[in-house]
Amino acid sequence: MAKKAKSRTVAVRLISMALTGYFRTMIRPRTHRPLSMLKYDPVVKKRVLFLEATKGGRAK
Amino acid sequence: MATQSAPSLVTKLPLRLRNFFSRYPPQIYSAATRPAPEQPSAPVDASSLPSPYTPNRDAKGKKPLDPTAPSPSRDLLYSSSNHPNPFLPRKNFRNGKWIGPRIGLRTQADLVKLAVKYNVEALLPAGRKSTEYKETRRAERGLQIKGTGIGQKVKGHKWERTMEARLDERRKAMMEMPEMIRLWKQRGHGRGWKQWPKR
Repeated sequence: MAKKAKSRTVAVRLISMALTGYFRTMIRPRTHRPLSMLKYDPVVKKRVLFLEATKGGRAK
Repeated sequence: MATQSAPSLVTKLPLRLRNFFSRYPPQIYSAATRPAPEQPSAPVDASSLPSPYTPNRDAKGKKPLDPTAPSPSRDLLYSSSNHPNPFLPRKNFRNGKWIGPRIGLRTQADLVKLAVKYNVEALLPAGRKSTEYKETRRAERGLQIKGTGIGQKVKGHKWERTMEARLDERRKAMMEMPEMIRLWKQRGHGRGWKQWPKR
């Protein structure tokens, strides 16, 4: 039986670099480079850098 | 003792205390007549205190603390064989039976309270109701409320125990945040970024 085809997009987790444990989940195309953006972190009440967490700790 | 040298003070004592002292003269019965213990118990050491809240305290087969083990508080309860302390029970060694204290605990408490009020507690015999005994015992055992004894502390929830370290980490990260954002912008908003966090 053929393997199930991978979806075109993946759900990724963007982690707050303020180390508060706050994160946002986003959907990006599988072939896209990792996401990173400035977003509001409600724990420190500031706009901070959010970086995509790599699964298994390996950068894409 | 000031009260012994000034008889006028003695007459000021309430009748109940005067009756007690006439029946049990302080020069024979008072706690001050207690000799020093032959093997003085070690002073209360915070590290060796039995915490009433050790995890295996209620475990099956766990033996309770030995009530006859020597301790500083037990040293206080002294009774001479010639003049048995009216505040303490004693054992009849012929038939092995216990004889209750001449004066019950409730009356003892009344007497101690009265003696404290008239500042003559030192003249009473040693007993479980004396301030000295209670303080010593509290130092040994703590308040029997978790974390209040000497050398005890409350374990608390994990978030409480780790809070300080986490806040410190967060504070450090926020200090470095402007520099990190500057670097991120410099590297094409993430295009040249290498240190992605692990999940």
